[in-house]
Amino acid sequence: MVSAMLAILLVAAMLVCSTVGVVHFDRTSLMQSPIFWNLRLPRVVLSVLVGAALSICGATYQSVFRNPLTDPYVLGISSGASLGAAIAIVLGLEAYLWGVGSIALLTALLTILLIFKIAATGNRMHTTTLLLTGVCLTFLITAIISLLMAMHQDKMESIIFWTMGSFASASWMDVWIVLPVTLVGLAVVLYHSKDLNLLLTGSETAQSLGVEVEKVRRRLLLFTTLMVAFSVSACGVIGFVGLVVPHCIRLVCGADNRRIIPYSIFVGGIFLLLCDTLARTIIPPNELPVGSITSLLGAPMFIYLLYKSKRKL
Amino acid sequence: MIDVQHINCSYGKKVILGDLSFIIADGTFTAILGANGCGKTTLLRCIAGLLSPQQGTVNIDGKAIGTFNARQRAQKIALVQQHPQTDIEFSAFETVLMGRNPYQRHLQNESQEDWNIVEQAMKKTNTWHLRLSLPSQMSGGELQRVMIARALAQQTPYLLLDEPTSNLDIAHQFEIMELLSDINRKENKTILIVVHDLNLALRYCPETLLLNDHSLLFQGSTSEALTPEKIKTAFGVHAEICDCYLRFDAKSL
Repeated sequence: MVSAMLAILLVAAMLVCSTVGVVHFDRTSLMQSPIFWNLRLPRVVLSVLVGAALSICGATYQSVFRNPLTDPYVLGISSGASLGAAIAIVLGLEAYLWGVGSIALLTALLTILLIFKIAATGNRMHTTTLLLTGVCLTFLITAIISLLMAMHQDKMESIIFWTMGSFASASWMDVWIVLPVTLVGLAVVLYHSKDLNLLLTGSETAQSLGVEVEKVRRRLLLFTTLMVAFSVSACGVIGFVGLVVPHCIRLVCGADNRRIIPYSIFVGGIFLLLCDTLARTIIPPNELPVGSITSLLGAPMFIYLLYKSKRKL
Repeated sequence: MIDVQHINCSYGKKVILGDLSFIIADGTFTAILGANGCGKTTLLRCIAGLLSPQQGTVNIDGKAIGTFNARQRAQKIALVQQHPQTDIEFSAFETVLMGRNPYQRHLQNESQEDWNIVEQAMKKTNTWHLRLSLPSQMSGGELQRVMIARALAQQTPYLLLDEPTSNLDIAHQFEIMELLSDINRKENKTILIVVHDLNLALRYCPETLLLNDHSLLFQGSTSEALTPEKIKTAFGVHAEICDCYLRFDAKSL
C-alpha cells in the first residue's frame, strides 16, 4: 500500500523533474525536443536508479554487518571507484566512451575484493576488521588521489567533480549499463529482506532460526557490491544517500527490513532525483556537484529525525 | 532421539570435546553439568548444528545433523543462547514471530496460524503483556522468557538452552525452570539444558550428563550423578548432599 503510493510519487517526481531545467518548453515542444529525450530523461532515470541502488545497498550493509554506520562509502567501494576514475582522467581516457567508468568499475571491484580478503578469517568475516579495513583503505586512496591531483593540476577540476558525483554527463548508454545490474540486485535483496531481519539478531541466532547465513551473506554482498560499483562508475561518488535514506525510513517506520528495503528503493530514488534536479537548476547555467546537495539536504533532515525520535523515547 | 557418537572438537590445538558419546531419549529433561570451560556450550552448538565436530557424528532422529539444511534443522531443534541480543529494535512480538521463520517462504507474510502460535507461546511464557516492548526496555528475566517463547514458536521436538538462568534472581530462576519442566511434561518436548546451579538441576532435571575434562563422566539420573565423589571429580570441590537447604515453594511465586 505504502509502496504503491511511493511508486506513484516517484513517477510524478520523475515527470516534474524532467520538465524543469535551464531550457523551458511548452508541452508540445517538450515531446519533440532532443534535450528532453537525450539529456534530461536519461539523467532523470539514471539518478533514480542510482538513488535506489545506493539506498538499498546501505540498508543491506547495515543489517548484514549489524552496524548502523555502514554504507557503500565507509566500506571503501566508492573510494576504490574514485581512484580508478582519477587514474583514468589523468591518463586522458575521458575522451573514450565509458573510458573512466570502466576503469572505475574495475578498481571498485578490486578494492572490495582486497578488503574482504584482508578481513576474512577462514570463511567467516569479522565486522569490525572489515569496517576498519574499509576506512583505512579509504584514507589511503584519498591520499593517492590528492597526490594525483597535485601532480596533474590541469585535471584537478574534473577529478574533484568526479569525486563529488555528478549526473551531468548521463546518457542512455549509462542507463543501459546500470539498469540490468540494479534490477537484478534489487530483486535479490528484496527476496532476502526477511533474512536481513534475522541477520540483525546475530548470525548464530539467524542460523538456528533457519537462515543459511554464510550463503545468504555472500550472495547479498556480491550483488550489492556490483550495484554500488556500477552506480559509482556511472556518476561518481555520491555520499550520504546509502547511509541516511535507510535510517530515515527506519526512524519513521521501524526496524522491519520488509518495509525498509522496498521503501528505500522509492525514497532513495526520489531523494537523489530531487537533489540532482536542484543541482542543475539552482544557479543556472552552472551545475553543482550532486554529492554536496545530498549532504546539504540529507544531514539536517537526518539530524532532525534523530532529535525527534530521541524525544519520543 | 539425539544420538551423539565419538565426537571430537577442538579450536586450534585446544581440545574442547574428546571422544564423547551418548544418547538422549525422546521426552527427557536433561541437565548438562560440568565445570567452566569443559565444553558444555560447544557440545550444545554441535548438537544444534552450528558447529561441526572434527570427528564423530550427531544424529537427530536417525539423520546426521550435517545433512539437514538450515530450515529443516530449525524445525527440529530450537536453541536459546546464553546472552540474548539487547540492542535490536524489534518488539517482543516481532522477535517471537521470527521463530516461525523456518515454516515460511521468502516474501511470504505470517499467516493467522503463525500469529496464533506466537500468541500461545507468549502467553505460556507469561510475556504476552510485553509484546510491544523492545529488548532494551525489558529486564533480564523478561528477555530470557521472550527468547524461550521464540524457541517454543519454532514448535520443535527438541529444545536446547544454554544457561538460561544465569543472571537471574532466585524467583526468576524457579519461574524459568518451572516453565521448562511444565513444557517437558505437557508437550513431551525433549529438553537439554546447560545449568550451573546444581540445586536447580537436582530439583528440576530428572536426567544429567556430567562432563569432566572434555569427556563424559556420567550419564543417568541426576540424583545418582550428584554424589560427593563425582562432584569432587568434576568441579574439584567438596560437597555434601543434605536435605537442609532452604525450601522454596516455587508454586507460591
